[in-house]
Amino acid sequence: METLSKDKIQQGLSVLNGEMDGKLLTNLNSCVHCGLCADSCIYYRTEKNARYIPATKVDLVASIYRKYHTFTGKVWPGLVGARKLDENTINDMVDLLYGACTMCGRCTTHCSVGVDISYVVRKGREMLSNMGYVPKTLQSTVDAAIHTGNNMSITTNEFVDTLKWLEEDLQFEVNDKNANIPLDEPGKDMLYTLNPREPKFFPLSISAMAKIFYAANESWTLSTNMYDVTNYAYYSGNLKEAAIIAQRLHDEMENLQAQTCVLAECGHGSRAFRWEGPNYIHKNYPFDTITSVELLARYLKEGKIKVDPAKIDAKVTLHDPCNLVRSGGIWKEQRYILQQCVNDFTEMTPHGIDNLCCGGGGGQLAMSEYNERRMNIARLKADQITNTGAKIVATPCHNCVDQLTQINVTYKMGVQIKTLAEIVADALILDEK
Amino acid sequence: MDWTYWFALSALVICNIACIFHFFRLVGLGPPTDYSYRRGSVQKAVKYAFTRAMNPAKKESAFLHLPTYTAGILYHLGTFMGFFLFILALLRINPGKNTSLVLAAFLLISAISGAAILLKRILKKELIALSNPDDFISNILVTLFQLITALMLLDPSFLSAYFVITGILLLYMPVGKLKHTVYFFSARYHLGFFYGWRGVWPPK
Ligand code: SF4
Ligand code: SF4
Repeated sequence: METLSKDKIQQGLSVLNGEMDGKLLTNLNSCVHCGLCADSCIYYRTEKNARYIPATKVDLVASIYRKYHTFTGKVWPGLVGARKLDENTINDMVDLLYGACTMCGRCTTHCSVGVDISYVVRKGREMLSNMGYVPKTLQSTVDAAIHTGNNMSITTNEFVDTLKWLEEDLQFEVNDKNANIPLDEPGKDMLYTLNPREPKFFPLSISAMAKIFYAANESWTLSTNMYDVTNYAYYSGNLKEAAIIAQRLHDEMENLQAQTCVLAECGHGSRAFRWEGPNYIHKNYPFDTITSVELLARYLKEGKIKVDPAKIDAKVTLHDPCNLVRSGGIWKEQRYILQQCVNDFTEMTPHGIDNLCCGGGGGQLAMSEYNERRMNIARLKADQITNTGAKIVATPCHNCVDQLTQINVTYKMGVQIKTLAEIVADALILDEK
Repeated sequence: MDWTYWFALSALVICNIACIFHFFRLVGLGPPTDYSYRRGSVQKAVKYAFTRAMNPAKKESAFLHLPTYTAGILYHLGTFMGFFLFILALLRINPGKNTSLVLAAFLLISAISGAAILLKRILKKELIALSNPDDFISNILVTLFQLITALMLLDPSFLSAYFVITGILLLYMPVGKLKHTVYFFSARYHLGFFYGWRGVWPPK
């Protein structure tokens, strides 16, 4: 660990200036240490270790607040468990706030008081980020986005080539030479974003969405300049970098004069742009945002696309991404979509806003140093899926797809993991054009 | 009126000033600013946060831990009742013999609940790891307060001891975690705001 200068400590502590923020002040003073949040956390449930109790994570940040901002903490720190911000504290913070929390927010809804635990964890990450303690793996993902425009460092040529190939594929599939994947076309109704995992590893999910746009006769475009919906700075806690990333997509919307930004199937990406983005850049967006889940549900409701559920006869279950559902309020739409597109849909227990995180959130997938822990906690999700007896797991999030794919292999589950667009595209009935 | 009465009264004033300070500091900071486009009703969600979201059937912290949850509820009810009786005691109002008996019995049950919570904190290694001295002191002081209130109701000769213990509790309240008396409400409000703004609460 680097030397901890006074300056660095001050940068970390600057986040806890409670006078600035009633929500922060509240959450740093509310926990009563009852410990009743323990069983709501996938980490504690997997390994009954007191370190993993959500309140322990809150207390790490709150104890620093008490040390520097309260009378008792200053004069009698031992009484209230006030902690200095030193190397030991920072080690604990890095391990617990980055390495043992997916910021899923499940504990928050179950807390006996109402402490917003994942918010406090974010604030703790913000402190660590201010001091330069973001795990290198996570930081390199953010750096890639900042320096190359997407978190996978995909070059524009590579991206365009992939899309051209997908376009030909689309024309063949829909049997229409005019079918296209529009690039950088100004004045369209919708700018569609992607998770860079799509062009890199899962191009078929782009095909699926392109096919749906084609069927819906949508006015849309992709941008080659800024298409990345993700914002890993939301996870690292670096507000400046988060603002740069959000601002870029905002600017691209203005540049292409699109009316609505369609947020790809990415839980944290949609959250980071729709809900956090305006606060990162301190202004309202002059355009609308819609998640692709809402858009797909709308197409089906309005009859813009038609589907045949008989095309998918395997049992399907649904994994709810925490950021989209618990922190984004979208859970009816994906159920509506599946009820239209498949014959046999079954829920996990628990599901909806109470669903268990898959273990890949919070930037965990980017932090390989915590891989073992990540795959251990994933057993809960594996059991949830197995208990449904489903053969297909649908989820509207590419991060979750990645984690579920690894769970599938690790726990030898033999299921298929699909995005909602892929399910809809599979069930789609194309009219003659 | 002896010094213990004035001690307790002064402690009440100091405690109130401190709690009011915390409250107004929070109010002064205003509601959260959010630049995102609101998709739900904050008002309805805040109401939900204080009502149905508190339903024990909805919270794992309650339904997975029913004995602790029940003890916690009884303990809090005992505390609220204790404070109400403290005001009566300061005003020299006697609730009457029979009422006092019933109230003392309830306070005894709530104090036992408090002691059980304390015991759990001592015996469970996860809770010990999470706790600091303030957690124990707060619990002990409130439990003692309930016990001495019960004794005072049954036997007025405990009045001086009652005022002293209550005074100590009141002076300690703004120092440690007992100030969650104020922050609890603010926490529920912020939770309601957050989930209401995004259309998560109340559930559709
Ligand atoms: S349930 Fe809430 S109040 Fe209790 S220990 Fe957990 S975070 Fe703290
Ligand atoms: S946010 Fe999720 S992972 Fe983090 S402490 Fe809470 S339940 Fe555990």
